[in-house]
Amino acid sequence: MAGTTVNGLRLTVLVGEGDRWRHRPMYTEIVHRAHAAGLAGASVLRGVEGFGTHSRIHTDRLLSLAEELPMMVVIVDAEERVRGFLPQLAELSLEGLVMLDPVEVVR
Amino acid sequence: MVRRQWDVLAVISAGGVLGALARYAVSRALPPSPTGFPWGIFLVNVTGCMLIGVLMALVAHVWPGRRLLRPFLGTGVLGGYTTFSAYTVDIVRLADAGAATVAAAYLVGTLLVALPAVYGGMVVTRWLVRR
Amino acid sequence: MTVLLVALGAAVGAPLRYLVDRAVQARHDAVFPWGTFTVNVVGSFLLGLLTGGALAGVVSGEVSALVGTGFCGALTTYSTFGYETVKLVEAGAFGQAFANVAVSVTTGVAAAAAGYALTV
Repeated sequence: MAGTTVNGLRLTVLVGEGDRWRHRPMYTEIVHRAHAAGLAGASVLRGVEGFGTHSRIHTDRLLSLAEELPMMVVIVDAEERVRGFLPQLAELSLEGLVMLDPVEVVR
Repeated sequence: MVRRQWDVLAVISAGGVLGALARYAVSRALPPSPTGFPWGIFLVNVTGCMLIGVLMALVAHVWPGRRLLRPFLGTGVLGGYTTFSAYTVDIVRLADAGAATVAAAYLVGTLLVALPAVYGGMVVTRWLVRR
Repeated sequence: MTVLLVALGAAVGAPLRYLVDRAVQARHDAVFPWGTFTVNVVGSFLLGLLTGGALAGVVSGEVSALVGTGFCGALTTYSTFGYETVKLVEAGAFGQAFANVAVSVTTGVAAAAAGYALTV
């Protein structure tokens, strides 16, 4: 497992499950844009509990609090490609967190 | 934020009406008697519990991100369809009418069938979805 | 006519359940389903009052349909109670799940009995 590593950048976007961009889920829009931009890959992960800017807890354990569960989009690629993608995200006027962190990708 | 709250409340109210009318129809078809087992509400609560298991599995695995679906079907329709107050009051009413055994059987029987029905609905739906 | 009264009561009861649930849950740490517990106990007491009153002949069929079948029926819920209990079991919180069932049923029946005893 001591393979070579290459430097990259990880883009993590947190959105609400119900967030929309022109009638389609926000996370779907981000994945489509990443795909169209030719990025290496994108994954969407579902959250089961959390709270955000309105500091109201959402959880799938309680029916009346089960709206707006968090969804996380993760994209990893070379730094210049990820940074080149950011203007496309800016158009979406996201409410949630958008994070960048440097990563090493094991080849 | 305010607009969001209003449309959620509106679909819950509409769903609640549909659910309550369905419950009313079942209780008209199977009317309660002073000392008999309340089969109508028993049936309502058991089927409603099974359906919420099915619904929550579908919302999580098949229809994520439909903002109003869970409030409409889960909180509204199934919440309005099933009832806890008729369950507790029927237990009291039966006990007061001298049918303590029926009351106890109804109390325990609903729990023993309805709660596994939630789980069964959820697990079977998840299994069908993943095939 | 009765159908309309049931519908009207439910149109108010269902959204009120949602609002009470969220208001109660906002005051707790969102672990134990106190919101559903609250509406179920309050609804049980109210329906107990009405049922006792109906047996005593002081509550009309119209009021029973509107406030009992419609409002109390939609305010309270068995499906959410069941779902939240099963989620506690799935999370491994067996003690909480058992407590939810035991406390909801005993308090709900006690509330219904109290309401019933006041009017019957």
